[in-house]
Amino acid sequence: MATDNANAGGFGEVSRVRGIVFEYLSFGASVFGLVALGVLLVYVSIDAFDLANASPEWLLTYFLTLVVPFLAFCLYSANDSEVTRRALAALGGGLVAVAALFTAIEAVVAPIPRLNWQLAYLFVVAAPVAAYLAYVGSRGRVAAVGFGLLGRLVGGAAIGLAVGTLFLVFDELVWFLAYTFGVVPAAALYAYGRWRAADRAATAAIPVGLVGLVTAVFLRRVVTVYPSDLVIYLWTIAIPVAAVGAFLVVDRSGRTVGIVVAGLPLTVATAGGFLAAGAGLSAPTVLLVLVLAGVPTAVYVSRVIEVGDGIVGLGLPILLAAGVAAGALIVEAWGVPAPDPWLDLGYVTEAPSRTPEEAGLYPAIVGSVIIIALVAVLSFVLGVGTSVFLEEYTPESGVLGSLTRLLQINIANLAAIPSVVYGLLGLGLFANLLGFGFGTAVTVALTLSLLILPITIISAQEAIRSVPDDLRRGSDAMGATRWQTTKNVVLPEAMPGIFTGTILALGRAIGETAPLIMVGAATTVFSAPSSLFSRFSAMPMQIYAWANFPQADFRYGVVAAGVITLLVILIGMNGTAILLRNRAERGN
Amino acid sequence: MTDSTESPDLQRRNGLRRLKEGTYGGLFAACAAITLLTTVAIFVTLLSDAVVFFQEIPISEFLTGTSWSPNPSGGGQAFGVVPLLIGTIVVTITAAFVSLPTGTLTAIYLSEYATSNARSILKPLLEILAGIPTVVYGYFALVYVTPALEATLFPEIGTFNALSASIMVGIMTIPMVSSISEDAMSAVPDELRQAGYGLGATKFEVSTGIVVPASISGIASSYILAVSRAIGETMIVVVAMGAQARMPAVREAAFGVPFINPADVLLESGMTITVAMVQIAGGDLTGGTIPYDSMFALGLALFAVTLVMNVISDIIAERYREEY
Repeated sequence: MATDNANAGGFGEVSRVRGIVFEYLSFGASVFGLVALGVLLVYVSIDAFDLANASPEWLLTYFLTLVVPFLAFCLYSANDSEVTRRALAALGGGLVAVAALFTAIEAVVAPIPRLNWQLAYLFVVAAPVAAYLAYVGSRGRVAAVGFGLLGRLVGGAAIGLAVGTLFLVFDELVWFLAYTFGVVPAAALYAYGRWRAADRAATAAIPVGLVGLVTAVFLRRVVTVYPSDLVIYLWTIAIPVAAVGAFLVVDRSGRTVGIVVAGLPLTVATAGGFLAAGAGLSAPTVLLVLVLAGVPTAVYVSRVIEVGDGIVGLGLPILLAAGVAAGALIVEAWGVPAPDPWLDLGYVTEAPSRTPEEAGLYPAIVGSVIIIALVAVLSFVLGVGTSVFLEEYTPESGVLGSLTRLLQINIANLAAIPSVVYGLLGLGLFANLLGFGFGTAVTVALTLSLLILPITIISAQEAIRSVPDDLRRGSDAMGATRWQTTKNVVLPEAMPGIFTGTILALGRAIGETAPLIMVGAATTVFSAPSSLFSRFSAMPMQIYAWANFPQADFRYGVVAAGVITLLVILIGMNGTAILLRNRAERGN
Repeated sequence: MTDSTESPDLQRRNGLRRLKEGTYGGLFAACAAITLLTTVAIFVTLLSDAVVFFQEIPISEFLTGTSWSPNPSGGGQAFGVVPLLIGTIVVTITAAFVSLPTGTLTAIYLSEYATSNARSILKPLLEILAGIPTVVYGYFALVYVTPALEATLFPEIGTFNALSASIMVGIMTIPMVSSISEDAMSAVPDELRQAGYGLGATKFEVSTGIVVPASISGIASSYILAVSRAIGETMIVVVAMGAQARMPAVREAAFGVPFINPADVLLESGMTITVAMVQIAGGDLTGGTIPYDSMFALGLALFAVTLVMNVISDIIAERYREEY
């Protein structure tokens, strides 16, 4: 046998080289797209923050005051000498390698445009090491607490800003009346019903709420005297949020802590609102941001202190703030030349302009926030309704079964229709036939909702399908009807998955441009929209408009800043979705 | 074994509860009906305006005309779809040259070579490629890729060109190929691989000689989906490819077969079907004009092509799927 093999013309020969080459080729293919995207993102951040003009001293200052403390914090939390050794080796070795490589390329080939070795070191070595350490560190309690606190501060502030933005379009006086006469009585009835186990009271909550809403719309036409904006927001948003915060901690930590958790942010926010009004800022927005960031933060801090583990982590926001302040101070004191970033506070708070230095994204951001809020509500309701119908209400076989299969195939095909065709649907149906207007929030939101509906449905179906059947059978055995089973068992179990899928789909909606062009959304609007039927712009529309400008400052500076803003919002949304999913998986 | 026909009423059935059940069931059914209505609405919207368009412009002129200028400054509208088709096909093929090999190799790496740790990092990262807004890709192509190509490979490339747009479309569609192909490859049972190893095959031979052929239906359907996505891609080409419907020069080859030099199309600005739609929408939206209706004719063509490709992809995946 052995001789046979040897004679069979290289049958038993194994080519090791071919296998290794193929493995590395396929690995290269896997990272090709990612590396390409990474390089482009590095360039777009350099352009947005004008880092090409940053002096080495400026970079070094902030590296020492901001990056190094952050790395140290993560290393302290990881508390692993092996990780520390590896991180320091990567940072040190990377420094030598990148500097040598860049010097060699510049000497032999040609200088790489707008990239020097300091920046390359930051992006290629320091940023991945920081990401890795943040990941490893967050497995330790200290950094987990730090990131949790940071996430609540940033996320709360973002939600506060978004809510404030919504009231640019929606009438806050109607909301005030609806809240007072509809939401409060309904909530009180529902709470009473649950507390006293009085089913009738809880059932009556919905009709009472509806009557209240109708009353509110009627009263809005009659009543002419209203409290000030600050009082309205305090009464309708700040106090309930604080009450929920207190409710969450009272059980665990007692009444005193509850009062502190609710009272402290409320006091700070109210004071902040009054001070902001004096300083010429928008008092309601300041109040909303402070309350919505403050209450979750206070709840989280009280919980961490209660547990008593990783309290040091609460210092992370202070550490970062101190780093920024120290960096600014050093730059100021020593007169270090600083870059002039395109993406700064003025960029996100000012209107577009013909001159690149004054151009801002504010109206487009407002447009995007309002559109996304509408799309979120529409696609969530329709998506959950459809997936519940397909998963819980229809049989697998029979006439209805084939109808279900038809719906299923139809949804899969809808998901693959190009977005520009949805734009035509919006143009023909919503804008022209139904007369909702060209490029209004209503037209855009309806079009985008239909566009992402298939994605929402498919992910919601997966979430519902992953609820174990035992739970349904258990609920059936208790005599529950189908709706009761759905409401009490299936939806609560599936909700994290549904939220995750919806947020990911919204990420798709926020970046869509082609359907917006087709329904006639404005490329540039110079003031924030004031009603649902005024002409809207959105962030991607503005980016599209600016990308056509011939001036280099627009192409490389202003648009880059817009791209970074859009991507940061997108990453924030997707990050929230992934955190939600991870938390739900850990809960199971 | 009791032969009782009537089951005891375990639920307290009253009118209110039955009403509630029926209402919720009806609401959910209405939601589901909206998805069906969407398809119908798309079809009717496209068809009604497209019919008006084809009453003005005969179908033969639309399909064979070599000039596209819906809103000329001087007059003399022309609605020939051929230049748009050439633009679309060139972009799609070039993008396929990027996405199909890369996506297939990625799928092989993820399914056969990668450790579970590497897979858990790479897979979500690859999904990011499909999640970046397409207008951002278009901006990248225009502002970074085109100058890079100009400085290195093609000094004669235009500011607006099909090549950089196609590369970006290709990169965007990599995850579509890789995720579906990887699912198909992971579904190949391990026994087949073990049998291959038992015959003395190397890992390379098992991957390319057993796993890929066994999952070929999944790979093929992923190719079709990626190509259909590339056909419908809009913003990348709108931003990076410019908006000139040019008919490239048809050259005579040695054997008398006329052909189009790809470089004539790739390095110059051009127009795809989607770009033509966006360009008309930029000017004229109130309806009642021929350019307005022509958008719907183009949309109908796009809708039909992508729908057919999806159905084919479904059929391939269903019919030729190996059952293990």
